[in-house]
Amino acid sequence: MTRFFTLWKREVASYFVSPVAYILATMFLVVMGVGFWFLANVRLMAGATFYDLLRALYGGVAWFAVLMVIPVLSMRSFAEEKRSGTLEMLLTAPVRDGEVVFSKFLGIFTVYVVMWLPTLAYYPLLANAANQEMVFDYGALASAYVGVFLIGGFFLSIGLFCSSLTQNLISASISSFAVISLIFLGGFLPAVSPIPGIRTFTEPLSPILHMLEYSRGVIDTRSVVLYLSSTLLMLLITTRVLESRRWRA
Amino acid sequence: MIDVQHLTKKYPGGVTAVQDVSFSVAPGEVVGFLGPNGAGKSTTMRILAGYLSPTGGEVKVNGMDVTRNSLEVRERIGYLPETCPLYPDMRVREYLRYRADLKGLSRRHRSAGIERAMEQCGLVDVQKRLIGQLSKGYRQRVGIADSLVHNPDLLILDEPTIGLDPNQIMQVRKLIQDLSSSHTLLISSHILSEIEASCSRVIVMNRGQILESATIEELSKKWSPGSAIVVEVKADHADVDAALRVLPDLKRIKVVQEGEWARAELGFKSDDDQRENVFSCIQEQEWSLRELHAKHHSLEEAFVSMTTEATDA
Repeated sequence: MTRFFTLWKREVASYFVSPVAYILATMFLVVMGVGFWFLANVRLMAGATFYDLLRALYGGVAWFAVLMVIPVLSMRSFAEEKRSGTLEMLLTAPVRDGEVVFSKFLGIFTVYVVMWLPTLAYYPLLANAANQEMVFDYGALASAYVGVFLIGGFFLSIGLFCSSLTQNLISASISSFAVISLIFLGGFLPAVSPIPGIRTFTEPLSPILHMLEYSRGVIDTRSVVLYLSSTLLMLLITTRVLESRRWRA
Repeated sequence: MIDVQHLTKKYPGGVTAVQDVSFSVAPGEVVGFLGPNGAGKSTTMRILAGYLSPTGGEVKVNGMDVTRNSLEVRERIGYLPETCPLYPDMRVREYLRYRADLKGLSRRHRSAGIERAMEQCGLVDVQKRLIGQLSKGYRQRVGIADSLVHNPDLLILDEPTIGLDPNQIMQVRKLIQDLSSSHTLLISSHILSEIEASCSRVIVMNRGQILESATIEELSKKWSPGSAIVVEVKADHADVDAALRVLPDLKRIKVVQEGEWARAELGFKSDDDQRENVFSCIQEQEWSLRELHAKHHSLEEAFVSMTTEATDA
C-alpha cells in the first residue's frame, strides 16, 4: 500500500510540475465557465429552471470539455515513461505491473477531479444572483458529478490504455481521442438510427443518455456497473499490455 | 549469487538475442560483461533485473527464480539501465526518496539509505538540485545512487561510464572500486579498459553467446600467447636486427631508429621470460642500453583477436 501511495503521489506531482495540467485546466475552465455564463445569463433569464441548467451544463457543455481534456491528460502516463526509458527503472523496482497501472490511473483521475473542483463555485454565485423563487436541488447536482466522474474515469482508462501502446505522445492522444469520440458519437445512435433494433440495443449503452439522466438526479445502477466494470476491464487490459514487454521486447 | 543455466531469449520476428548462455557469479565477485554492441549483454542484464522474461533456461539470483519470484529478486538487486533514465523534474534527494519508498524501505532505513548512497556517490552537494539541470556525470551518479539506496546484495550496472568525459569516467570507476568491497557487481561494457580497470573476472559475449569466462590474466594469456620484450640500445638498427634475430624462440622482431638509438620490439613463441637472454646478447655486442622491459598483453589485444576469430569462424 505504501508503494501504491508512492506511485500515486509521483503521478499526481508529475502533472503539477509540468505546464500541461495548468494549460489543460485553464482551457477546461474557460469552456465550462463560458458555458455556465451563457446558460446562467441567457437561459435563466428566459425562465429556465435549475434542472434545465444542470442538463445543459453537464449533459451538453461538459462533453466538449471532457473530450478535449481527457486525451491530453492521459497521453503522457505510459508513452512518456517509455520514451524517456524511465519505465525500465519503474518496472525493475519491486512493484507489480498492476500496481503501476492502477496507481497511474488513480493519479490522472485525481488530477481530473481537481480540475472539476472549481466548477463547484458556480452554485454559490448562482444562489447569490438568482431570484428567490429558484429551487436548488443539490442532490441532482451531486448526481451530475457522479456521472462526470464515472464516465470521465472510463474515458481516462481508455486514454491510459492507448498511452501504453506507444511511446509517442501525439499518437497516444490522437488514438484515445478517436476511441473516445467514437463512443461519444455512438451515444447518438438511439436518437438517430433509422433501424429500431439498433435503437433499442444502443439505448442502455449511450453515454449521452446516461449523462442526461445523471444530471437530472437519476443514478441508474446499471450504468454505474457498466462504467465501473468497463474501467476495470480497460485497466486489466493495460496491465496485460505492460506485461507483454517481457516477451515482446 | 547469480546462476544462469541455458538462458535463451528470442524476440518476436526471429531475432535471437541470447542463445544457450550459462554462467554463474559468486558472492563478492566483480564480473565484467564484455562484448561488442548487440552481443546480448543488455538483454541478459534486463532478464536478471526482471524487466524481460527468458524464452528458455533458468535464471536464479540468490537461489530464487527471476520469473517466479520476480518481486523478491528485484528487492535484492540494484539495477542501472544503459541509458540511466531519471525524472528531470525531480530533485536529487526527492528522487532517491521516491525510489527508496518504491523499494519498500521503512522510514528509519530510508533516510539512512539515502544519506549513505549520496555520500558514496558524492551527491551531498547537489541533493537539492533538479536532476534535469545536472551534468551527465552527476546524473549517472544519481542512477548509481538509486541502485544502491536499498543496499542490495547485487548491483547490475549496464554501461555505467558510457557517454562520460575522462574525468567523470575516473570518478565512476573509483566509485565502482569502492563498491566492489561490499557488493557483488555485474558490469557491462564494450570498452575493454573499463572492464580491465574494475573487474576480477570477465565474461566475453558475442552474438548472443559466451565466448569466454576467465580472469583478465588468463584471458590475455590465452588469446595473445607468447611474451614480448621492448629494448633500446645505442646502435644502428640494421646491426640490432641482425644481432637479435639469432635469439632462440623468436616469433617476430621490429626495429626502428630513433636518432642514435634503436628501439626493438621482440615477440616470442613461448611465455618464458626472455629478458636475460636479450640482455646477454646486447652485452656481447657491448652496446649501451637505456631500456629493457617485458610488455604485458592488454585485454584490448585479447578482445580484438577473440571477436575477430569468432567473426571469421
